Order: sequence, then C-alpha cells, then structure tokens
Amino acid sequence: MSNLLELHNISKSFGALTALRNLSFHIGEGEVVGLLGDNGAGKSTTVNLISGIHKPTDGYLSVDGKKTLFTCRSDSADAGIETIYQHTALVDSLSITRNIFMGRELTDRFGFLRQAEMREIAMEVLQNAVHISGIDSPDTLVGNLSGGQKQAVAIARAVYFKKRVLLLDEPTSALSVRETEALLNQVLKLKAENVSSVLVTHNIYHAYQVCDRFVIMSHGTKVFDVAKADTTINQLTDYVVLT
Amino acid sequence: MTPILADSAAPRSRTQRQSILKQIMGMPAGAIFLVFMTLQIVCIAGALLYPNEFRYLSPQNLTILMKAVPVLGCLALGAGVLMIAGEFDLSIGSVYTFTAVLMASLVGAGVSAFVAAPLGVLAGVMIGLLNGQITIRFGLPSFIVTLGGLLFWRGAVLLYNGAVQVRFDPEPVFTSLFSGTLLGINAAFIWIVLFVVGFHFLLHRHRFGNHVFATGGNRGAAEAIGINTNRVKLVAFAIAGGMAAVAGILATARVGSVQPGQGAGLELQAIAACVIGGLSLRGGRGSIIGIFLGVLLIHTITDVLLLLRAPGFYLDMFIATLIVLAAIFNHLIERRGVA
Repeated sequence: MSNLLELHNISKSFGALTALRNLSFHIGEGEVVGLLGDNGAGKSTTVNLISGIHKPTDGYLSVDGKKTLFTCRSDSADAGIETIYQHTALVDSLSITRNIFMGRELTDRFGFLRQAEMREIAMEVLQNAVHISGIDSPDTLVGNLSGGQKQAVAIARAVYFKKRVLLLDEPTSALSVRETEALLNQVLKLKAENVSSVLVTHNIYHAYQVCDRFVIMSHGTKVFDVAKADTTINQLTDYVVLT
Repeated sequence: MTPILADSAAPRSRTQRQSILKQIMGMPAGAIFLVFMTLQIVCIAGALLYPNEFRYLSPQNLTILMKAVPVLGCLALGAGVLMIAGEFDLSIGSVYTFTAVLMASLVGAGVSAFVAAPLGVLAGVMIGLLNGQITIRFGLPSFIVTLGGLLFWRGAVLLYNGAVQVRFDPEPVFTSLFSGTLLGINAAFIWIVLFVVGFHFLLHRHRFGNHVFATGGNRGAAEAIGINTNRVKLVAFAIAGGMAAVAGILATARVGSVQPGQGAGLELQAIAACVIGGLSLRGGRGSIIGIFLGVLLIHTITDVLLLLRAPGFYLDMFIATLIVLAAIFNHLIERRGVA
C-alpha cells in the first residue's frame, strides 16, 4: 500500500501560539484513518492545513511521494482532496444539482449552464454512487434536507469529482444514530472503491467501527499511531484522555 | 364515447389545475405572480365595467404605466442582484441623479449623447466598485458604506451643478432610441424588458448567477468550494451602480432635463420592489422575474390609487403595508425552507 498523502514534521504557529509541533503521519491509498484527540489537540488546524487553508510554518506535505505546497483550497482540490466540513459546505437556498456543481459548473463556452446535463449527472450520482433515502429529485432545495442527507450530498459531490481522499471533519456530530450508520457505511463503500478517508472526530466509537488506523493527537502533536489490529478501544480512550 | 370522455376528463382537469396552482406557489416568484395576476384581473374587470370612471385600460394610462416602470425597474434589477449576493446599496438613488447630471451637462458642453451616456454608466460602475471596495476591504456592513454614498453623491450633485435643473438636448436619434415608440410600445419599456430577459439569463442560467446565489446563500460554503466571493460581490456592486446610471439615462431621455433632487427615496422603492418580489434581506434567495413583478406591482397600485383620485399619502401607506406583508410572507417561506 503506497502512501497517498504524507505530512513531514509539520509545525504551525499563529503568532506566539503553536498549534502544531513536528506532526508527521501518512494516509495510504484506500485507507480509512481516524484522527482522534480531545478539543484543542490541533485536529482542525491539521484539517485546514491538508485542505490548503493554512500553510505550514515548518515541514511539508507530499502527495504520491512528491513534495508539494498547498497555498489555497483549489490546490488541495486539484490533488484530489475534498474536505467535508462539520457544517457542510452547502447552500441551503440552492438545489442539490446546483450544490453538487457549485464552483465547478458545466457550462458552454459563454459560461451558460448546461442544466439538463448537470441534472442528469446529479440524479445518477444520487441514485448510484451514494444511496440516500428520502431524496426523490435533484431539484430539491438543500435547505429541505436533514443533516445526514446534506452530508450525503457533500459526499456525492466528492465522489462525482473523483476525489482520492475525503477529509470528514466531525461528520457525525450533527447526525442521528441511523444517519451515522449510513455515513459510516458510505465511508466503507468508498474504501472498497479505493477512496481514502480521514475521519476527524472525538467520538472514538464511531472511528473504531470503520477506521483501519488511528492517529491520536494531543497538544499539537502526534502521541500515538496504531493499526486497528494492534489496539483496543480502551487503549485508544486512554491515549485520548490521558495524554 | 363522448360522455365517457367528458366524465373522465373532468376530475383530471381539476387535479391538474390544483397541481398547477401548487407549482406556481412553489416557484420563487409564484406568490407574487398570483397577487399580480389577481390585481390585473380585478383592474381590467373594473375598467371594463366602469370605462368612464376607471380609465385603467385607456391608452393614456397604459402609456403612463409603460413610461413609469423602466426607471424603477433598472434600479431594482441592480439592487436585486446585489441583494441576492448578500449586500445592499442605498446610494443608487443619488448615483442615479449624479450620473444623469453628469451626462446632461456633458451633452450641454457639446459632447455627443452617444459618448456621454456610456460615460455616465461608467461613472455609475466606478461608484459601485468604490462602494464594494470599501465594504470588502474594511469588512463593513454595506448598509453603512452606501448610506455614506447616498449623502456623498447627493452632495456631489449640488457641488458640481448647484440646485438648478440641467437641460438635456441630445441628438434626436438618441431621444427616439430611449423614449420613442416602437409598434406603439414605449422604447424605455422595451429596454427594461430586454434587461429583465438579460438579467434572467445571467442570474439563473449563467455560472456567474450561480456564484451570486452561492455567495449570498452561504458565503463560507462558497469560499470553501473555491468561489472568489469578494469578486462576485464587487461585480454585483458594479452592476448596481451601472444600472442606476442606466435608469438615469432612461429618465433623462424621457423628461429632457434632470432635477438635482429627483433620486431621493428611489433606492428605498427599489429595495421595496425586491422585497415584494420575494428576495431575502439576508441574501441567497430571489428571482429576476420576482423583482420585475415587484416593480410592476408597485406601479400598478400607485396608478390605481391615482385613477381613484386617492390622496397622495395613501400611496405611501399602501406600499408600506405591501412591503411588510411581503417580508412576513418571505420569512415564513424561508423558515419552511430551512426546517
């Protein structure tokens, strides 16, 4: 299993505050990694760094073994990384189709939208790639969907644009039990299609259900990195709580 | 055979009619469309029943309506696009006067109207960009920035021109292009219809429009996906300023002169038309057809009250009630949308 994304000795400071210190870990191809840690451990900074919103003060990222520098969001998007935020990055007042294609609209050469084509693709993605219950039309406004359905639309967007890594930032915090199950199954299904995921969460139980490996952070650095086979949920809890 | 057909056709047509009504209500401007059509039907019926007392359908009245709509229409289209992008422009009334004075005095100094009018629009665009730059650069509410703009450009008109009216004597071709008639229809009305169609395609069928809705609907999301929301807002500010200048051209060509005080209050009427047309004050919602229907509704009601010889203050009270009702209605729809 080759490493899709690697972080090498990354540090990040905001003025006098050091958010990350010497952080290194990797994400393999088709691997689901749980990034765990208590509040303030530096998980969100790490997500922002991987998605190109922050630049590292020190250290570097590499994609497919090649050293890269993400200076903005579109750099990470070009590398195949899609971040799905806690409060999903969707516009409530637009339809599902328009959300899926937001910022990446299919247009003719004058910039006019190819609506029928986008609608058809949206319909297919919703029906096949991600199975979402209760959505009957891609013209539904996203504001009318539940939290889980919104996450699913965000994931559908990532799937259609052939992303290789999904960064899921606290994906389950706003979901019902059933929606959480559906989301975790979705992650496993994508894994079968060789899409990696990083589950950023402080819910160890959710992470334990689907992750292959766990990276535990505390005070801006990595304190534990272990494959699922070599650990137990109790040991993970101890590391999150005690370090 | 025939009776069976009639039997089976009757219920189907009823359900169809119901679903059409529902469909209309579900559309962005559906409710305002129904209100507008109802008002039209009542007015036309009234005019047919009492042709002498209520001259709604008289050619003179229809001409007045067609001449009145384009000015507010242009202002509202610009203000509406900006509102959907999540910002306000209170300065458009003053910009409308300022650019009109600029254009008229250039023509007075011997410049061709075909040069002066684009210069006026350019000035409007530049003022819009300035409003946008200040709003974005300093992270201020556009409400405050453009409130400053309202006072500044109103003062600039007086500084530049004094409180006297400016005559506007363009080439006859220019006048007929913007206030002549074509097939009995006022030229300015044809212009506004063209603008409505153009803006509809820009906002609902073009990538830029999608970015406007995304910027106003959820700025964080739009930025996360890689849309340059500052640029979208800046362009929207420029459109608002430019359309204010276009409104100035249409009004000036019609009247043949500019009054330094003529734009006062128009910015609020433009925003009122947008709100009546279903735009959210928080941005991200609305439609071009809605804005245009809002303008038509304001002018129809004004016209009806004038025809009924109602005193002037009734006008303001009626429009005010309409705005508040429309805002309440929009808010209910929004809440239903989010829940």
